[in-house]
Amino acid sequence: MPRRKRRLASRIRAYIRGLLSFLFSNVGVIVLVVAYTIAGAFMFQAIEGESEMERMTHMALERNNTAENLWQNVTLALNLFNETAMKERITIELIHYQKKIVFAVRHGWDGGRSSRQWSFSSAFLYSLTVITTIGYGHLSPRTNWGKVVTILYTLLGMPLFLLYLTNLGELLARWFKCIYALVCHCRGCPGFTKRRAARFRQQLDISDAESIERPPHWRSGYLDSDCTPEYRIPPNARDFQRRPDYFRSASMPQPWERREVLPAQPRGWSEPLAFRTDSEGTSEFSYVTFDAQTITVPISVCVCIMVGYIIFGSMLFGMWENWDQLDGAYFCFISLSSIGFGDFVPGERVYTPRIETSFIACSMYLMLGMALVAMCFNLMQEQVIHYFAGLKRVLKRVSRCKR
Amino acid sequence: MDRQPVNASYHGSMRSRDSSSTGSDAREKIKDCFRKFVAFMFTQVGVGALVVCYAILGAASFMHIEKDNPDEQLQHVRKWRQSCAEELWNITVANNIFNETSWVLKVDKVLKVFQNNITAAVHTGYNGRSPEDIWSFPAALMYSLSVFTMIGYGNIIPKTIWGKIVTIAYACFGIPIYILYFCNMGKVLAQTFKWLYITAHECSRRDDAVFEEGEIIPVKRKITVPSTACLWVISFYILTGTIMFGAWEKWNYLDSTYFCVISLCKIGFGDFVPGANISDSAGGSHLKLVINFIYVLLGMGLVAMCYNLMCEDVRVKVRELKEDLKNCLDDITLKITVCMNDTKHFHQKQSRHVK
Repeated sequence: MPRRKRRLASRIRAYIRGLLSFLFSNVGVIVLVVAYTIAGAFMFQAIEGESEMERMTHMALERNNTAENLWQNVTLALNLFNETAMKERITIELIHYQKKIVFAVRHGWDGGRSSRQWSFSSAFLYSLTVITTIGYGHLSPRTNWGKVVTILYTLLGMPLFLLYLTNLGELLARWFKCIYALVCHCRGCPGFTKRRAARFRQQLDISDAESIERPPHWRSGYLDSDCTPEYRIPPNARDFQRRPDYFRSASMPQPWERREVLPAQPRGWSEPLAFRTDSEGTSEFSYVTFDAQTITVPISVCVCIMVGYIIFGSMLFGMWENWDQLDGAYFCFISLSSIGFGDFVPGERVYTPRIETSFIACSMYLMLGMALVAMCFNLMQEQVIHYFAGLKRVLKRVSRCKR
Repeated sequence: MDRQPVNASYHGSMRSRDSSSTGSDAREKIKDCFRKFVAFMFTQVGVGALVVCYAILGAASFMHIEKDNPDEQLQHVRKWRQSCAEELWNITVANNIFNETSWVLKVDKVLKVFQNNITAAVHTGYNGRSPEDIWSFPAALMYSLSVFTMIGYGNIIPKTIWGKIVTIAYACFGIPIYILYFCNMGKVLAQTFKWLYITAHECSRRDDAVFEEGEIIPVKRKITVPSTACLWVISFYILTGTIMFGAWEKWNYLDSTYFCVISLCKIGFGDFVPGANISDSAGGSHLKLVINFIYVLLGMGLVAMCYNLMCEDVRVKVRELKEDLKNCLDDITLKITVCMNDTKHFHQKQSRHVK
């Protein structure tokens, strides 16, 4: 009786520890990144917002100057009403004025839109583009303090975002593998698992089970009392011969060798085998755990995910910003690959009252998108390493043949 | 030379093996050296050459695609200017009395319309130059570099449909090549730097060891390069860039440092790009752009090296931190359970006492 209670208490403790570490590592990092971006937004808004007002008044002054010049040098100076000469002079003045406008806009002036350029949401997008290293450049610091703060903000923010990407990438990769196994191999279907358990039970009784080749460290047996004993499903089991892709992926040496036996980490499903062999009279249950982490997701699935996300973004932003499909896809691709030219930025060309939500939507799209890219890289790693190892082997064989 | 086979046949396989092994030993060594050299070329130098070739290829293709594109915006801007001039003329004609204030007010309105048009044009990429001016070869080279290093300056952008499609394809293939270059350069530079650091360390320790008394047991510790050394190297490189760009582009030092940091961190806003005013000096700017190109590539290699060296350091520290955190949490939970047990025992004792 007390033994069962102790086991329950230890299991609860392990569960709480797992939950806390999950919160601290994953959710904590997300919260940290968002908080850091918000802090940066406030900072940049304060630093750069003032100089923006200066630039607006400066341009109004320029316009007045041009009008004055036109009056003085053109209309007053020309006594004759000579249309072509006057138009020429006017054109010269206008070219000067145009150059000034172009220079001013490229150096941060907004053209007098009623919304401020360094509002909170645009500063938020700016901070995000700094720490994700996208760097659109539609908004960039003009004051000296702004530049210094940007440099420091980058140096702290980039490692933080890398940490976010690694953490979230691993987490999403783990979940995706479970979902993929569920969908593509039907492991989660209840009737199927019972039949599989029954078949596995049969296999444990046959003597052939011992002759099945397994890596020596693979049968881990019983671990701590906390943990459920895990029996990995052997790769040559009869019921898996019908699924060639799992068989192929299971025959790869890498996942087995790299996988350490981690106690009490729920990685797949556990099916209690409600039987006990006659030799053991204890009331313990043993579990057959299906380890979803051993599946390798093919590269095509990862590519499909990324392409799908880009198409989704292109439709969304195309609808909001009146971009055509190619421009939307181009924007999504350039942003997600962290190139970030800045020629297309949501909310930049078309001034709508919805401009603030455009920036926030773009930020969320980017954060989620980069996490998905990290997940795809995580999933593709094994396949790519496998292919490169194969390529290396072929090259070695070819180079040896040359002798 | 003729006697050797005779000797071999007399003295059996041993002698023959020796003579043949000395003859073929050198050949084996040469072959081995050659193989190692080829392998080195394929991995380190080869990847660098691949990157440069890929950039040149990209520059040529983008130049070809974008240069001959008839820019509509220039025509639009010219049209706006003409219409603005028309309206100004009409205002002048319509005002029979030369009344300054009313004339200026009307002119101001017209100018505002003109200004809004130009602003909208600049937002969509107009910058006052024709595509032939913009897409020179060095500029296209910098553009290709900014695509596959993921910096993405954005001062030059593709405007045609084909330009955008080719940019996407170029990035899809270029980014893995660049990542390969990044990892390789990082590894090579990290090994070189580690070796330099260790030799410097040993040299200094040997000087110290000479003056000590007693037995000196050379302790072979695993020396990890501290992160501060990496940071010093990067700072020195940024300082070099600052001085170089400050002198060439006439930027002040803050702007140059800002540009170097933003480029090396792959952010690349594009507000400062060296050689952006290419039309100013055609001759010297080619060399300048090439040197910029090399600076950015080498800088990325150094960043990779620092990343490589700091990874181990950071990983060890993070593991220690995690261990400490776990122990801390364990202690807390233990204390809580002990506390609860104590109170339970206390209550049990109380109830027994009452009975």
